[in-house]
Amino acid sequence: MTDQTGKFETVDKVNEGFKSTGYICSTDIATTVYLAFHLGKPVLVEGPAGVGKTELAKKAALFMDVPLIRLQCYEGLDESKALYEWKYGKQLLYSQLLRDKLDQVIDKESDLGESIRTLHRYEDIFFSPQFLEPRPLLKALQEERGAVLLIDEVDKADEEFEAFLLEILSDFQVSIPEIGTVSARKRPYVFLTSNSTRELSEALKRRCLHLFIPFPAPDLEREIVRHHVPHIPDLLERQLVMFIHEVRKLELKKVPSISETIDWARALILLHAEGLDRDLTRKTLNTFLKFEEDIRTVDEKLFLLVDKALKETA
Amino acid sequence: MDRVLNYFIVSLRGAGVPVSVSESIDAAQALAITGYGNRQVVKSSLAATLAKSAAEKEIFDDCFERFFSFQAQTTAFAAGQENGEEQQPGDMPIPGIGGMIRDGDLGGIALAVRDAARTADLQSIRFFTQRGMFTARILQALNLDQLDRFVADLYREGSTGASAAARQLEQGRDALIDMVRRFVEEQYDIFARESTERIIERYLWDVRLTELEERHYERMHFLIRKLVKRMNERYSRRRRRAKRGALDFKQTLRANMHHGGLLFETRWKKKRMNRPDVVILCDVSRSMSTVVRFCLLMLYGLNEVVARVRSFVFCSSLLEVSHIFETCPVAEAVERLRTGEGLDIHMGRTDYGSAFWDFTNRHLDAVTGKTTVIILGDARSNYGDPADELLKKIAERCRRLIWLNPETPAMWGTGDSEMKRYIRLCDVVMECSTLRHLERLVRVLVRIP
Repeated sequence: MTDQTGKFETVDKVNEGFKSTGYICSTDIATTVYLAFHLGKPVLVEGPAGVGKTELAKKAALFMDVPLIRLQCYEGLDESKALYEWKYGKQLLYSQLLRDKLDQVIDKESDLGESIRTLHRYEDIFFSPQFLEPRPLLKALQEERGAVLLIDEVDKADEEFEAFLLEILSDFQVSIPEIGTVSARKRPYVFLTSNSTRELSEALKRRCLHLFIPFPAPDLEREIVRHHVPHIPDLLERQLVMFIHEVRKLELKKVPSISETIDWARALILLHAEGLDRDLTRKTLNTFLKFEEDIRTVDEKLFLLVDKALKETA
Repeated sequence: MDRVLNYFIVSLRGAGVPVSVSESIDAAQALAITGYGNRQVVKSSLAATLAKSAAEKEIFDDCFERFFSFQAQTTAFAAGQENGEEQQPGDMPIPGIGGMIRDGDLGGIALAVRDAARTADLQSIRFFTQRGMFTARILQALNLDQLDRFVADLYREGSTGASAAARQLEQGRDALIDMVRRFVEEQYDIFARESTERIIERYLWDVRLTELEERHYERMHFLIRKLVKRMNERYSRRRRRAKRGALDFKQTLRANMHHGGLLFETRWKKKRMNRPDVVILCDVSRSMSTVVRFCLLMLYGLNEVVARVRSFVFCSSLLEVSHIFETCPVAEAVERLRTGEGLDIHMGRTDYGSAFWDFTNRHLDAVTGKTTVIILGDARSNYGDPADELLKKIAERCRRLIWLNPETPAMWGTGDSEMKRYIRLCDVVMECSTLRHLERLVRVLVRIP
């Protein structure tokens, strides 16, 4: 605990810490993570695809040096997949293997009522922790040193599941009827991500800190690119980020994300580019545009876009 | 700071961000942890705890910048101040706010105005008609009359120095009044927006759709979206509750086959609540267009309650428009219906007779024993043939025939209205002219006769 508190002493320290793991974050992000730690609240992260929502949770786990437990949500996800399940197979197998023992326990002479009463004394054996298969949520509660629990794309899960999450996120304990209540050994740090395919319930939002990650401002994105592609020439890096920002303003099926900016930067480095030019850009469009239509749209305006990027960075 | 935070939250609520009590507690705790040293950090912490969606973030940013800005107001005042200073500083003691005006103590003045606003209870301002009253109250709390008396005394004294000082004070006073007025204006913007909004909303629930002004359309769409969401939630929940019931033994056996016949998982019998198939015939003559617009907007939103909608519009002739709703978003589709763009429909005199004739001849197969037919129209057929025998044919074929008439019942059957004749053929006849009526329609739709 103490070492964690040290890491979370100030917002700036959080910022630095994340930087050392390779995640460049804005004040918004650092402040929210800082608050989440001190208030013990889950963080609901929203934003367009590819701005590093999932990455944030991963890097948080790295930063705090605790395991990352991930629960990917999908339609039809239920408690048995998310929380725990009994190992039916093992239960059955054991009851077969132990048949002789059972025979011994149940005295052959005794009548039915007697046998059931005897069995009642043992039935809990088959519903004990040994037969319990913990799923991500339970696992996160059981971690000795705490964990980062990432509930990814929570908007894809059904509303019932959301209601069920509420219970866990507010008390950090679950009740398993056969065993009793399991409470967290140490509160996990929870990140929920959402792509806003549907509106999340008010109750869930109320319990979480809300973090909206937009596409980064040019300066921040440049820093990110510099961090991931250290040898990039200064001019190229500035032009490239400016170009991507212009492209994001167009109406595209899928706007280029940060990771695609980085991919592109790496590709250009491989091609020994010193600066942006039209020909090179046209040839490498497919590194950051993933739809034929998008490529066509950008290609049509390529002259303008490149020109603008060059002019603004001149 | 707590009080300031409270005011800020009130203003956020006013601007339409629903901040709950627990969220405001979170915000206070967050500020206690981060401190107030860094403006950006304060803003981020408040944003994380108070604004919970992208749209709310935008409102939040706007509110934050407006609420925590002190410069905008004081600069205008400073201009007035400089003018004053050119003339003469003056050394005599001036009571109250006058002293600050002479010394150009802008911070002090801003504080005094805020204090006075608190005394005048400015945050309870709700209507724009109250602005004058609050301005007067604040000025009174600032002891402006005292300053006025002092200025008058200076003038009476008559010496050049005194009258120059008086002029300077007067200018400062005008700047002050200006500043208070602007301050009230701003605070009205911050605190009162919500209540005005609420009044409009209440009005919109009961306004006749035919009389709705175009500037309210946007808000009406929003209200309908809210209504639709609520209805979907309510009736889907009911359907789910209906699922709980008896054990479905066959299903249970099948589900547990792989456990070697040991019954681990239980399956329950499902009771499905029927989702009606809806066929709607809309009269799209000029007088009906707004009602049709909002009715369709609602019906197409009710995907949890209503299984399938097929829509037809008619005026002089009848035409199916379901494909428009399938290809573009609902809001856009109703807009296209309104403009009549690409619709091959004859917009002459409304003729119910020929509309029914068209429908029974060409589209009667759309109606089955499971269908609920809704007719939305004023039944004013311009003295043409009412063709009620055709309507009877439709009524016999469908499960339920609902007639929605935007006119008040008192008007039914007057003039060229054939309503009285149609009423006997319908299962349900309702007046449908306000949003409240539309809400009632949903309840009628899911109730199974």
